Amino acid sequence: MTNYIIRRILQAIPQLVIISIILFSLMQAFGDPIATLGGRVPARQEDKERLRRQLGLDQPVYKQYITWLIGNNWQKIDMDGDGVPETPGKRLGVLRGDWGNSLVTRQPVTRMIGERVGNTMLLMLTAEILIIILSLAIGLYSALHPYSLLDNVVTSLSFVGYSMPVFWLALMLMYVFAVNFRRWGLPYLPTVGMYDPAVGKTPLELLKHMILPLATLVIISTAGYSRFVRSSVLEVLSQDFVRTARAKGLASNAVVMRHALPNAALPFITIIGLDIPFLLAGAVVTERIFAWPGMGRLFIDHTERSDFPMLMGILMLIAVTVIIFQILTDILYSFIDPRIRLG
Amino acid sequence: MKRNLFVLMSLIVLGSMILAACGSAAPATEAPAPAATEPPSAATEAPAATEAPAATEAPAAAPSGTATITFVQEPDNLNPMYTSMSFSGYLRPFYSKSVWDFDENSQPVPVLVTEIPSVDNGGVSADGKTITFKLRDDVKWSDGEPLTADDFAFTYDMIMSDKNTPLGRYPYDPYVESVTAQDPTTVVVQLKDPFAAWLTSLFYWGVLPKHTLQPVFDADGTIDNAEWNRNPNPSLGPFMLDQWETGSGLTFKANPDWINPPKLEQIFVRIVPDDAAQEAAILAGDSDIGTFLSSDQIEKLEAGGKVKVVPVSSGYNEAWFLNVNPDTARPFMLDVNVRKAIALATDRFTIVNDLLVADINPVNATFWDMTPPYNSDLEPYPYDPEQAKQLLDTAGWTDSDGDGIRDKTIDGKKVDLIVRYATNTRELRKSIQAVVQQQWQDVGIGVELANYSSDIFWNSYNDGGPQALGEYDVAEYSSVMNAYPDPDTDGFTCDQIANADNPDGTNFQGYCNADLDALFKQQAVETDPAKRKELFNQIEQIMYDDYVYIGFWNDPDLSSVSSRLKNVKFSGVYPFWNAYEWEVSE
Repeated sequence: MTNYIIRRILQAIPQLVIISIILFSLMQAFGDPIATLGGRVPARQEDKERLRRQLGLDQPVYKQYITWLIGNNWQKIDMDGDGVPETPGKRLGVLRGDWGNSLVTRQPVTRMIGERVGNTMLLMLTAEILIIILSLAIGLYSALHPYSLLDNVVTSLSFVGYSMPVFWLALMLMYVFAVNFRRWGLPYLPTVGMYDPAVGKTPLELLKHMILPLATLVIISTAGYSRFVRSSVLEVLSQDFVRTARAKGLASNAVVMRHALPNAALPFITIIGLDIPFLLAGAVVTERIFAWPGMGRLFIDHTERSDFPMLMGILMLIAVTVIIFQILTDILYSFIDPRIRLG
Repeated sequence: MKRNLFVLMSLIVLGSMILAACGSAAPATEAPAPAATEPPSAATEAPAATEAPAATEAPAAAPSGTATITFVQEPDNLNPMYTSMSFSGYLRPFYSKSVWDFDENSQPVPVLVTEIPSVDNGGVSADGKTITFKLRDDVKWSDGEPLTADDFAFTYDMIMSDKNTPLGRYPYDPYVESVTAQDPTTVVVQLKDPFAAWLTSLFYWGVLPKHTLQPVFDADGTIDNAEWNRNPNPSLGPFMLDQWETGSGLTFKANPDWINPPKLEQIFVRIVPDDAAQEAAILAGDSDIGTFLSSDQIEKLEAGGKVKVVPVSSGYNEAWFLNVNPDTARPFMLDVNVRKAIALATDRFTIVNDLLVADINPVNATFWDMTPPYNSDLEPYPYDPEQAKQLLDTAGWTDSDGDGIRDKTIDGKKVDLIVRYATNTRELRKSIQAVVQQQWQDVGIGVELANYSSDIFWNSYNDGGPQALGEYDVAEYSSVMNAYPDPDTDGFTCDQIANADNPDGTNFQGYCNADLDALFKQQAVETDPAKRKELFNQIEQIMYDDYVYIGFWNDPDLSSVSSRLKNVKFSGVYPFWNAYEWEVSE
């Protein structure tokens, strides 16, 4: 097992290097960070030339990549534009823990991600837990009582849920529970943000502001996942070993919980293992509509400005978590399914 | 196993809950008390003024109440040197006052200075090359340090230092020779040449605190990454940043020691990236000021009677910019009569009436329509499809093959009159493209529509920007002068044409007219407003006759104001210039 883990981690290193090279090259197609600088009209040409030089954006891509990877603090940069490099570089590079500064805010990328990651995790992990519990519950019930009235109702509801566009559902929830409930004098929920500035960031405020975004995420994902659970449990229930378990007189509960569910759970775990890293990326649409200050919005905001150090930071973080969770999923497999041996 | 996984995930959620709460642990305990309960009483009970600290002579009420503003984008940097975002500019009147404000009529009002420099009061030298600011002696940074002329000299040094990477050096780089502190309250700006636009551009975003940033510059060799850029305290204005929770919002607290003590206790700027969500927040009463609204939202927002939408011009006009670059334009675009026909064949009046609000967005005639007093009395090009057809006929463009699109044989090759009409992906502009396509069909002009995402649309020549490369005939967007309300602009001169030798040029139209160039040079150094207006009217006439700029509509910024927020007077330069006068009533 230990060998297996070490081998997987060693494999991850070249994987990450290749991913970073591909991403960095793709970044070049993102547009020019100097074109408008966030203003409504193009910047002056003298300023554009100077900024490109000062920020190193006039360098060939491979040099920019090397600076990003290992830094430039042994080189000098031409800051004053006389053609002679005179100012020592300060970058240490990703390999030495320096993810660079955002071109937009001039803040360290790590700091900016650090400010958002907690918010995204709070929203997304709570959502994921609710989704798992609800979809297991609904899926199991439907599988154990297939084609019952409730199963049919749930089935049609999940098709409705699954086919609703996120932005539509989010805005509907907001208009009903925040705008109209308030108008009708009912207890209402806040529209946007994480807390009310007049009240401050208390746990209760946080909870109130989480309800609508959570509902949006949970409704849509549960609809899909519960279908998945239902079909995989149904499939397992019809297999021989379940029949054997029943035949030897095990209680129905024990059959489902000890024999059917662990087998049915394997594909479900795969899906969740693949999904969790992307939780980090945040739910772009939901975060945007409910103004939730998470990673998804950070990514979008900085994509619009072609802020590649920031984008590289976020994408590499996701790449690393994807690899970690794949290893974790594989390990989890070997616990749940004794047939799988890692080594 | 499942249980372990569940426990692990619960732990992570718990952890992130703690993480998220930690960032604001302090305000969570402090905040609730004052803001939530007090405003009703304080707003009505003016006599409370007597209890106010004796620090200010005027009997001012203690600041009270919270106003909430919604922005659809988050400001990127609070150091004005490092940002050109409108949303950062909007916040500046809170914490970084400029030497003078421009009021709701775009007239200058002294703030940090005792008077606006002029030739009469000796502030502007006879040759127009020396400008002297006399500072008020009672202005203090929020940490109690006095504002001095050294701060101005330091600000200039920081902008010009090669160790820093400010976004723009305009107007210091081309026009200013030096900025010196003659004595603690006298700033002398020495210009290289007389510079007409000084009033709207010199220190227009305020000054930097030398006593805070000089040590940073000495230690780090740059102020690019200074903490002040993100947390601009000490501030120089009626408010101070209290907290910036990225992605969520910024809280500003009153600075009661400011020369114009604010009436509000707190301003919260909330970031709501989605337009529809901002609309919902305004309707729900969660936003007192909504920004950058579109005209189709007006009716819905004002329906409840609690919100007023206010248009304020910041100089922007929506227009068509025609590609007339001999190197890239298609042959028909180089014929002024074809360009004129394009203008006359388009019923901009009906489009504006149907898709916008005609009162707010009248069709405009020139680039300077929103820049009084420099606007001319030229009328917008009329809608006259018959004359357009005649012009095209005379120019030799006829529908010889009967396919509904005019064509002409040039150098033995048949060329169709198909105009490439490019803009970004904004829905309104797409709708207009569709209408224009039909209108042009009536006169036999074909159209090829192109829509680019904004960043690509504005890419420079070297990055393959479609405008910079001249891959269009008509480009539609909203544009503005260098330093509104000053009329100066550099987008129409020959030396700004974007090409391989000048990849960062801002003249994407390739427009080059020697007479115009001379006039632009002349106006830039003309310090007599009357003579300058004369020059601008000549400039406008030349461009009007050249049919290179087809005005579409005046494009003021639309903001909403809730009825509980009083005394809001927007200015086109700094919309929130009078924030110190705002107050809330329930």
